[in-house]
Amino acid sequence: MKLSKRTAIVVMLVLCTALFASAAAFAAEEIKVGALFPLTGPAAVSGQNCVNSVLAAADVINTKNPDIKAPLAAGEGLVGGKYVIKIVPADHQGKPDVAKSEAERLYNQEKVFAVIGCYNSSATKPASAVAERAKKIFLCGCSSSAALTERGYKYFFRHAPTDAIESVEFVDYIAYLNKEKNAGIKTLGVIYENTEFGKHAADEARKAAKRADLEIVADVPFNNGATNLNSEVQKLKSANPDAVFGAALGGDYSLWVRTMKQVNWLPKIAINYCTGYQNPAVQKELGSDGNFFMGGMGYSPELAKKFMPEAIKIQDKYYTPRSKQPFDSDSIQEAVMLMVLAQAIEKAGGPDTEKVAKIIQTDEFPSVMSLSGKVKFSSDGQNAEALSVITQLHEQKYQTVFPLKYKDSEPTLPMTPWDKR
Amino acid sequence: MSNFLQVLIDGILSGLLYALVAAGLSMIWGVMDVINFAHGEFLMVAMYICYWLGFIFKVDPLFTWVAAGIFLFILGAVTYKWIIRRSLGKAAMAPLLATFGLSMFLKNLCMNRFSPNFRLLSGTLLDGKTFEIGGAIVSVPQFVTGIFSLVVVVALYWLVKRTRLGWAIQATAMDKEAAELMGIDTEKIFLLVFGLGGACVGVAGGLMTTYLAVHPEVGGLFSLIAFVVVALGGFGSIPGAFAAAILIGLVESFTGFYVAAVLKYVAVFAIYLVVILVRPKGLFGW
Repeated sequence: MKLSKRTAIVVMLVLCTALFASAAAFAAEEIKVGALFPLTGPAAVSGQNCVNSVLAAADVINTKNPDIKAPLAAGEGLVGGKYVIKIVPADHQGKPDVAKSEAERLYNQEKVFAVIGCYNSSATKPASAVAERAKKIFLCGCSSSAALTERGYKYFFRHAPTDAIESVEFVDYIAYLNKEKNAGIKTLGVIYENTEFGKHAADEARKAAKRADLEIVADVPFNNGATNLNSEVQKLKSANPDAVFGAALGGDYSLWVRTMKQVNWLPKIAINYCTGYQNPAVQKELGSDGNFFMGGMGYSPELAKKFMPEAIKIQDKYYTPRSKQPFDSDSIQEAVMLMVLAQAIEKAGGPDTEKVAKIIQTDEFPSVMSLSGKVKFSSDGQNAEALSVITQLHEQKYQTVFPLKYKDSEPTLPMTPWDKR
Repeated sequence: MSNFLQVLIDGILSGLLYALVAAGLSMIWGVMDVINFAHGEFLMVAMYICYWLGFIFKVDPLFTWVAAGIFLFILGAVTYKWIIRRSLGKAAMAPLLATFGLSMFLKNLCMNRFSPNFRLLSGTLLDGKTFEIGGAIVSVPQFVTGIFSLVVVVALYWLVKRTRLGWAIQATAMDKEAAELMGIDTEKIFLLVFGLGGACVGVAGGLMTTYLAVHPEVGGLFSLIAFVVVALGGFGSIPGAFAAAILIGLVESFTGFYVAAVLKYVAVFAIYLVVILVRPKGLFGW
């Protein structure tokens, strides 16, 4: 039998239409989630890592991963494959006003179900206010300003330990060192960027220092993105505190470290909040100059090998191919928040904002990417299970020095002077 | 006393760096009356050149600043030929907007190619080297940059004041048409000035790689301060820009240490505002 040309075309058209129709019938519905981070500007490195982390979590949820023992990893998509997560990245450039308008765009024009962000506390604040007004869910991985969860918001949830929690941990560690190692740390200097994040970190440092009878002898805010930090470091050096708490992101962190080297000064101990300290890329550039500094962390590859093996699998399979480096303590928390959201959607049976928000408020979520292994939010939206450890950097390796439960190394104390390295 | 001396030295060294960054901008602005908005991005490109030459071929920025200077001379000349020349004589804002577009292009190109990562050359010849003066520590990389700044500024001044080319540049700056009537090829002068402006910022960027991290946003604040230096010193006045740069470095350093670190740029821009209000042509402007 020979088909005419016209019949052949008609048959092909019918077949194609049937094929597309069946594909459409089986295609999963997309649930859009905004990923609002600083993709340009001074904190762009960290912002891009955060987006990559959220994309990695989306891959875990959307594809079958029998090798990863994590909630939702075994299946394909959500609610029996009815939904898949689609990440919509957006850039706030580290600017609060841009964060606000981008949040509005994501909710109103992109029609995202929720937003994850924003890394900078100063950007998270206005962006989450947009969400709260619109009664939409806003998930925050690593912004650490304690003020964010003191606003009585109902749709805002944050994974990271706050600066308040970390400050207490830092002074507890100093008390431990004074008692057990005779460290003789009595005075404190605080250096911080003059932003929402830095100012709140400094506030909490002052409160914690008062509680622990540490005298603050230097209080040095600085403008982020400065051309130099000479006078800032000179202020620290002339006050010569025994310990320094630092809150400097990305390039400012490396400039701070290099300037201390330049003036040949170090305190006995320098502990950092959520900063450039935690970023492996920044540490790689600093090389051995980054050694012996400390910082609060919720994740490090060394820690993960012992306590979070499934996170390593996710990292190797989906994150490192994108970011060319392991997870860092900030970015991984953004992935955790997407996993929490996905579990809540799964339980709610779909993207119903009120139902999903209620589940996030009340349930406890297993989390293979959290040090505590679980996430549970208190009524203010703060993760009550948030946990961080203090690490010290030795040749690009984050060694855990406190709390004792997680400790894997003895600290180098005081920090080795620049001229003896 | 030691603190005072340290702050004084830091201020002078910062000022010398600002002078080096601003020298090229001063020439372009003074001669052509064109604001090169991409000046900061030229600085960034120079830093990337020296970073990659150092990272891949292990050549120290102490030598590669020559390559950065030459490349930026070419980039400056090409910018004039392809962008500025076509926008001159059109709307008053056209050259400014054109260089703004160029700055966005360069910044985003580097962001795309090199990522926003901070890149720092470790183990350079001058890395971490210091010496002491009266108890104050002087960073050798910054000191060397300061010496280069003096040499470049003196060389530029000599070029403008003592050579036939310099007289031609001055004539072009004062009256383009009259200069043309005297047989000066003003097109060539403009091309050369833009190239020289690029070369100056190329040298600055190259030397900065010895102690500062490079990233796509690195030029932002430097170019802003360079604009202030040029306006404060007086348009087209190289000694004026030099004096203004030292003044800004000192104000920044002393305010940062003795008043509050967060106010150091506030003080810089406040001084600028006062000088511009009292003497709009700047400290040494004609």
